[in-house]
Amino acid sequence: MISDQIKAQFIKDLIKDNKRADGRDFMAYRPIEIEKNVFENCEGSAICKIGDTKVLAGVKIDLATPFPDRPNEGMLSVGCEFSPIAHPSFQAGPPDERSIELARVVDRGIRAANTIDLTKLVVAPGKVMGVFIDLYILDYNGNLTDAAAMAAMSAVKNAIVPKVEQDGEVYKLNHEERKHHLPLGESVVTCTFEKVNGSILLDANIDEENASSGRLTFGTTTTGKICSAQKSGLASFTLEQFDSLIDMSLEQRHALMKLL
Amino acid sequence: MSSNSPDKPQLIKNGKRLSGRSFTDLRPLKITAGVLKQADGSAMIEWGKNRIIAAVYGPHEVFPKFLTNNKKALVSARYVMAPFSSLEDHGRSGPNRRSIEISKVAKHVFENAILTSRFPKTIIDIHMDVVQSDGGTRIAAITAASVALADAGIPMKDLVAGVAVGKVDGELVVDLDKTEDNYGESDAAVVISPRTGDILLFQMEGLLTPEEVKRTVRLAKDAAVQVREVQVAALKKRYEQVASELGEQIA
Amino acid sequence: MEKKLILPGDEVADTPKRMDGCFIDGGKTYAAVVSMGQDEKVVPLKGKYLPIAGDYVVGVVSEERFSGFNVEINSPYEGQLSARDVRDPLRVDDVVFVKIAFVDEVNGATLADPRRLTGGEMLEIEPTKVPRVIGRNMSMVTMIRDHSATDIFVGKNGRIYLKGNNTSLAVEAILKICRESHTSGLTDRIKQFLENGGNSQ
Repeated sequence: MISDQIKAQFIKDLIKDNKRADGRDFMAYRPIEIEKNVFENCEGSAICKIGDTKVLAGVKIDLATPFPDRPNEGMLSVGCEFSPIAHPSFQAGPPDERSIELARVVDRGIRAANTIDLTKLVVAPGKVMGVFIDLYILDYNGNLTDAAAMAAMSAVKNAIVPKVEQDGEVYKLNHEERKHHLPLGESVVTCTFEKVNGSILLDANIDEENASSGRLTFGTTTTGKICSAQKSGLASFTLEQFDSLIDMSLEQRHALMKLL
Repeated sequence: MSSNSPDKPQLIKNGKRLSGRSFTDLRPLKITAGVLKQADGSAMIEWGKNRIIAAVYGPHEVFPKFLTNNKKALVSARYVMAPFSSLEDHGRSGPNRRSIEISKVAKHVFENAILTSRFPKTIIDIHMDVVQSDGGTRIAAITAASVALADAGIPMKDLVAGVAVGKVDGELVVDLDKTEDNYGESDAAVVISPRTGDILLFQMEGLLTPEEVKRTVRLAKDAAVQVREVQVAALKKRYEQVASELGEQIA
Repeated sequence: MEKKLILPGDEVADTPKRMDGCFIDGGKTYAAVVSMGQDEKVVPLKGKYLPIAGDYVVGVVSEERFSGFNVEINSPYEGQLSARDVRDPLRVDDVVFVKIAFVDEVNGATLADPRRLTGGEMLEIEPTKVPRVIGRNMSMVTMIRDHSATDIFVGKNGRIYLKGNNTSLAVEAILKICRESHTSGLTDRIKQFLENGGNSQ
């Protein structure tokens, strides 16, 4: 849209003067809020709001057959839907490549950090629990990655595992009776930086994203490890920028972790 | 990655990797430019057991027309794995979630490298077909596509080069093979522009300290210089003849 | 300095210079395409034909519009021929030898002086080999024309249109030039080839 291009130029001009349209510091988040346990039917849920961006995460826990090469591990899957309610560019139909990338970035962080101890999710030989995290974008106003990662993390933390009932050879879950939390390890949050007109911004809003040439995301854990990273968009980053963004992600993570 | 799997072999013995390589040795790497007749540019990469064919078509007109950009060429990238390409099971043909994500980030790399403003109102199609996979397919595919683009005469800021760096048995090593990829503790796919040293692609998973991540990109940067040498050799081999004939015109 | 192969990203000059197939970054000039370089001269080795004002090309009429014709010129970009510049009527699929009169900022080419070509055949070669086929001061193409009694229209876009009773000799000679263009003494060998009526010895 033409108006987007004019706005993008405005954003770039402001950044040249070291300013952001909403008056934020380059390395500051918009206000973040997480609502937990928003639904009853699913095992865990959360809505993460960063500024006007809203991402919902729902966790379902089901019985599943393990992957043949991982017989002694439960399953973990992250899906993502760009619902047309969230933005005019989100169309119904086959999954958007952006939604696939987002789901896979969130998945990699949680998986690599061993956030959920999958080895404790085995019910019986050939029967395991599957943890299905679905991300649902409600309102797209920039920085979906960090909002989605926090919503997913929060929903996983508050998810309650249903009771396993056995009837002879047959196992089933009693979703009415929930017992305990998932076996959890370290938490994960992400920090996403956008390169706009040569400068680097944390937590870009949608206008800033439209003006951006690319982004870099780092996933960090409770104990200060890096568990995932993704560069996206055509911008390149120098080694020095890379190093300083790793340090910035680790610094920012404390505030984010408190909200989970 | 399943670094705690009971099947995990000892990946490093006496300072050497299972394959006998040192921590920074690359697997045997060979690139052949101009392997296809129809395509405007093409390359085949043989990297370890990886066999990937890259083909470039264009720049050509954009269909459908309304997608045309009047300021620059569009870039499309398609990374796919053939159903018979892996040692284990028969895969499904066509794109899946993994290949769609890889295609997307590969496209970003080439949107950066190609001087797209030279060909407004056109599109450049880049195809990367993995016919045999052996760990590190995405960076091998991008490395091959870079040669195919040069072979097609597409103007670029650099021959971009990729490499994977990961942690196996507690050590950071360069160019993971399939086993190291399967049982390692971290894996990062990195694409570098050797001319500037800038990072064009970075996808990482695993648990690393900040210092290890910083070392990861530095190891990748050094390896990219070696990879570029192989790319250069491939293009030299293909163009030496053409070059000598044009040399006469310059003189 | 010696001739050498230059690849994308190679430094060509340590000052900013506008050159074919190059780009400027940080005050220096780098090659953007596979090129042949000598001293600070750079000749791109491969690439699609991009229209340049003043070139003559062999095109094919691809579409008839109210105000003129679209002409396909073996390039990512089409040429436009205004109806005002067309004396004899043209139809879709007609082959024309045409001049590129003007090129706009998005590589759109305005064509002029079309000459409709009929009764002959068309050959396509790499656009980069066209100068070799033409030869210095058109020496090569003149020689082929004289020996084969063939009218030859060489387009800068890599298309060659031939018309005459012995076009096969001309086609063979041109293909031989493309195959052997890197060897020295080519002009003499082509001359001998033509004098022997298409036999190399």
